[in-house]
Amino acid sequence: MFATLDRPVLAVREAWDTPGIDWRVMNDQAPAEPDARSQFEEQALPYMDQLYAAAMRMTRNPADAADLVQETFVKAFASWKTFTQGTNLKAWLYRILTNAYINTYRKKQREPYQGTIDELEDWQLGGAESTTATSTRSAEAEAIDRMPASVVKDALQSIPEDFRLAVYLADVEGFAYQEIADIMKTPIGTVMSRLHRGRRMLRDLLADYAKERGIDTAPTKERGSKAAASRSTT
Amino acid sequence: MTDCGCDKARRDLEEYLRHEVCKTQDSDIAEHLENCAECSDEALVARTLTEVVARACKESAPEELRDLVLTRIREVQASH
Repeated sequence: MFATLDRPVLAVREAWDTPGIDWRVMNDQAPAEPDARSQFEEQALPYMDQLYAAAMRMTRNPADAADLVQETFVKAFASWKTFTQGTNLKAWLYRILTNAYINTYRKKQREPYQGTIDELEDWQLGGAESTTATSTRSAEAEAIDRMPASVVKDALQSIPEDFRLAVYLADVEGFAYQEIADIMKTPIGTVMSRLHRGRRMLRDLLADYAKERGIDTAPTKERGSKAAASRSTT
Repeated sequence: MTDCGCDKARRDLEEYLRHEVCKTQDSDIAEHLENCAECSDEALVARTLTEVVARACKESAPEELRDLVLTRIREVQASH
């Protein structure tokens, strides 16, 4: 019943190169065992919450995120035969998710192309060096720690997409640089630079937010700032 | 172990915190962070940022999505 699975497998093979996999060997293997579906459901479906969270940050709305996750699982199941048991399933699924996102949703959203931002110098992006040098950093850490989730998500949403994705994959998913490079199909140096700059931007945005609301990061004003923070969020 | 100094510690801090390969020895950065309050605060900010982002981005997929995915997978299997 899996004899005709070759077509999607080929489509996936064209879509991205998977290093280290001998496709002929994979294709010559005996047809997937009849319980492939239950195996897939058992192993891959537990990642649904994580994939949905990532899709939310990519598409920015629940309906598109749900569509993207659906597409990801359908594609993953169609090429399940090519997944090597014992290798990193989470990274494999994220690669399919990211690929699906770039190929369909990013085009649909017609966002301005942001690829060239990697070539910008730090000063062009603004705030390369710490803008918080004057206030103590442990106070900054505390202010960041108290940031409402919605503010953090908005800040993440407002940084360029490639930077956002690098930050997401590293900070939320804990992927290693090499894994992020594989998922985003970029050199490891690009991953590092996107991650550093993305986090720098995020940090500056959160510092700006705190400043606007009078949450001074200087420790002496802490009590007053807490009151200000609670007032501003209600 | 030798303290690597502020410049190297700052440059390689992210990699150190993520246990990634970097130009400075882990133990040298660790020693510097013990000696330098400013850099250790910087490390605290970096770690906090990661925690806060991870916390903020938690989501649960809607229950309908799970059902939908299961249905779609069964359809895919049936069509082959």
